[in-house]
Amino acid sequence: MINRRPSFLVYGLLGAFVLGSAFPFYWSYLVASRDNSVLTGDFTLIPGGNFWTNATRVFDTIPFWKALGNSFIVSGTVTLSVVLLSALAGFAFAKLRFRGRGVLFLFVVVTLAVPTQLGIIPLYMAMAEFGWAGELEAVIVPNLVTAFGVFWMRQYLVDAVPDELVEAARMDGCSLWRTFWHVALPAARPAAAMLGVFTFMQSWNDFLWPLVVLNADNPTIQVALEKLQSGYYVDYSLVLAGTTLATVPVLIIFLVLGRQIVAGVMQGAVKG
Amino acid sequence: MRQRWVSVLICAAVSAAATTACGSGGASQTQDGKTELTIATFNEFGYEELFKEYEAAHPDIKITQRKTGQGQPHHQNLFTKLGAGSGLADIEGVEEGYLSQVMSKSGQFNDLKEIGPQIEGDRWLKWKTEAITTKDGKLIGYGTDIGPLAMCYRKDLFQQAGLPSDPEGVKALFATWDSYFAAGDQFIAKVPGVAWFDSAAQVFNAMHNQHEVGYYDKSDKLVVDTNPAIKADWTAVTAAVAKGQSARLAAFSNEWNTGFKLGKFATKTCPSWMLGVVETQAGPENKGKWAVTDAFPNGGGNWGGSYLTVPKQSKNAKKAAELAAWLTAPEQQIKAFKAKGTFPSQVKALDAPELLEQTNAYFGDVKAGALFATQAKKVKAAQYKGPADGQIQETVFSPALQSVEQGKNADEAWKTAVEGAQKAAK
Amino acid sequence: MTAVLPKVDRGREQEPRPRPPRRYRWTRLDTKVSPYLFVAPFFVLFGAIGLFPLLYTAYVSLFDWEVGADDPAFIGLDNYRTLFEDDQFWNALFNTFSIFLLSSAPQIVVAVLIAALLNENLRARTGWRMGVLLPYVASLVALTIIFGNLFGPQYGLVNDVLTALGFGPVDWQASTFGSHVAIASMVNWRWTGYNALIVLAAMQAIPREVHEAALVDGAGPLRRFFSITLPMLKPTLIFVIVTSTIGGLQIFTEPKLFEPSGGSGGGAEHQYQTVVLYLYQSAFQGLDLGYASSIAWVLFLIVIAVAGLNFWITRRAVK
Repeated sequence: MINRRPSFLVYGLLGAFVLGSAFPFYWSYLVASRDNSVLTGDFTLIPGGNFWTNATRVFDTIPFWKALGNSFIVSGTVTLSVVLLSALAGFAFAKLRFRGRGVLFLFVVVTLAVPTQLGIIPLYMAMAEFGWAGELEAVIVPNLVTAFGVFWMRQYLVDAVPDELVEAARMDGCSLWRTFWHVALPAARPAAAMLGVFTFMQSWNDFLWPLVVLNADNPTIQVALEKLQSGYYVDYSLVLAGTTLATVPVLIIFLVLGRQIVAGVMQGAVKG
Repeated sequence: MRQRWVSVLICAAVSAAATTACGSGGASQTQDGKTELTIATFNEFGYEELFKEYEAAHPDIKITQRKTGQGQPHHQNLFTKLGAGSGLADIEGVEEGYLSQVMSKSGQFNDLKEIGPQIEGDRWLKWKTEAITTKDGKLIGYGTDIGPLAMCYRKDLFQQAGLPSDPEGVKALFATWDSYFAAGDQFIAKVPGVAWFDSAAQVFNAMHNQHEVGYYDKSDKLVVDTNPAIKADWTAVTAAVAKGQSARLAAFSNEWNTGFKLGKFATKTCPSWMLGVVETQAGPENKGKWAVTDAFPNGGGNWGGSYLTVPKQSKNAKKAAELAAWLTAPEQQIKAFKAKGTFPSQVKALDAPELLEQTNAYFGDVKAGALFATQAKKVKAAQYKGPADGQIQETVFSPALQSVEQGKNADEAWKTAVEGAQKAAK
Repeated sequence: MTAVLPKVDRGREQEPRPRPPRRYRWTRLDTKVSPYLFVAPFFVLFGAIGLFPLLYTAYVSLFDWEVGADDPAFIGLDNYRTLFEDDQFWNALFNTFSIFLLSSAPQIVVAVLIAALLNENLRARTGWRMGVLLPYVASLVALTIIFGNLFGPQYGLVNDVLTALGFGPVDWQASTFGSHVAIASMVNWRWTGYNALIVLAAMQAIPREVHEAALVDGAGPLRRFFSITLPMLKPTLIFVIVTSTIGGLQIFTEPKLFEPSGGSGGGAEHQYQTVVLYLYQSAFQGLDLGYASSIAWVLFLIVIAVAGLNFWITRRAVK
């Protein structure tokens, strides 16, 4: 009875929601394939034929592929590291007993509340001190692990891994590292998947800090795209052509990994 | 690579706070022994070909350009690195709108009279150089381009209102601000649904910058509430808003762009670079409707344009100043004008045939170069800008005028503006 | 059981055995040291890179410190004193809370609704779930332009629709409430789908038997939702609320991008200037780093206080 297929109303509501979610992507392509006039009154939903012309202009104006590569290196490294290190710390906070655990975790929570906008001046000082100004390290290292990640993984693991399971693994002579790797990490997959997507997108869209700390000849994709807005007026068809091109690889990853993410959410639920 | 990581980790662990122990220092020498000069620009300075030319003439120099698309992130970057004390390029572009903030930190920039090559004093228009000379006579930047003001107007709408519409005939309307607002009254009475100007702040700022004394007097005392000129401008502009002369479109907003396309206002204060904006925003369907004339109420004015500065952080200040001086010479600036349309601030460049012959097809093949050269010479003197001047214009007076356009009482808005200015000046 | 174990341990230690087995020693070391090693990356990195900006900001907040100033004057707590008398700050604080409430409340309701829909036995369920997560991948540039167009006061699409429906147009930039609604809708657009998936995960963790038992008792779908699903979602919902509080009070991107040509003022009369936007404006337009730092610290304390309150409520609600 619970398993019967839902009504059209359900599909209709969900469909409307997903359409709303997807609209900006289509719309970006729309403007990119026409010209600025879409934005000023001549509203239409039919794409024009200028997309490749605009795309070619993007490739001519900015080092698109290099910037894309840099962004993959940065966001990939950051994501991998945030997920792993956050899971590790989250596991310790959720399941292990050690002196100072409460205080240290409180510290993590408190750092969540730090507004980061001002940090860019002292952070730049630190990066210059370490000799990283202009290097990709300057964009990667400060983001290798985040308070949000630790907090997120801890909250998830508290419930997702039963204490008995950890105890049992210890009885079997598993080291804590092996317990983490074989028990906690698999259980954390759904949360890790969400955290991964979240971190990747955050890092991919980051603009101000990379702009300040990277050199112009070695940019990330968002910094490179900014150069398309050069001049006293903005050619939105060019800007959105660049934006669309930069979104395509992310969309592909999302479509490929999306299955994993969603499967992760479901799997976790089954186990939880 | 690995070793660097290790040393960095040690550094990080040992010194969370800044010590100079691990700094690597600026790498200003390239591997083949050339001196590397970095130059940070925004928008289009039109220097790309010039760099090649300079490198060819100076084999010991390698130029690296750090280009940002828009002015806002460029200047945020500039101020971040001023605050951090390192990381600036050898040459930093500064836009006129950010000038007062930079001038109030003039101690962070080199005096180009001291470290730069000898330059004849009249290379630039007088007011252009005055604006970047500190009170104690230091020159902290070389002028690149300017944005002399003229008036753009809609010929077709002027005809519809029964106003003169040829470039000579409209000059009488644009003689003074009084005649300008009076023409506005006539216009809105005849053409319903179309305003006279785009936004109050655009007009007010142009009026304001014509006065000898602005928000500050020369001793850096804030005179917002005692300078009668400011209140007079305020009254004139807000009265025009009350009559419906403003289209109430904040400059550079989405709505403003749409306003161009739909033809929602009949005149626009027009610096040289604005012609391109009008053409893009109004679009091909409005071609031939816009015109520009070499007249501006109460004389001339300027909006925009930049300078090249050499921060004290630069390790190659002398060579950087040489490059900056060369780039801002009339011959080079004319080439930049041809490349990207940046209107030169150099006296000699204003007489160059390339400039005088330039025409603009969108504005009915008007001789735009000659027109704006005329306007540039009409600017009398640079208004003295106090420490928070740019901030008062951008974050206090322009928003206050916008609030009047949004329906706030003009007297209350004036009070808010004066208080806001006092707070900003603090 | 757990209380007994340590005693056994100690007893063994005192046994006159010449060498305890190596593996055992290793395990003890592992138990003691590993937890610290596990949390070390965060703290080392934070100590090296995160702590310095925090302390630096605190230090700077005690000075009349302009960006790039040569020798800033020490003024003690004057920046804080000024801040508490600063109408613009209180206004920004009000805006922050208002936008936060306008965005989080409807967001959670819709997220639960969407999660309930997703929890149905859908065809192509993976596709639907990915669909709601799409806003995550969208670029901010595109969003700025789109929302600017939607909420334009004179020519925007939303006003066209409102006018067509017989309501008057709303000046989305001039009206305080209107601007908050517009910005909240940007926030909601970006985050609702994400929260829906979190809630969905929690929904799926509800054992099927509970539902089936209720079904046997003759409870209808609505009743099952309100008396079973919703109560069991409570911990998750509270988690969502706590994290969105911390994020919501630091809201910056959306109000900054709402009218990009308008700088950081957040409207002609700061109708939608949030605290972080004010902080940003003070630092990078006013170049008053000292004052901006004091805003940062006060905001920091407020967020901690509110999050702490949330935590306290969480504990009470769960127990």
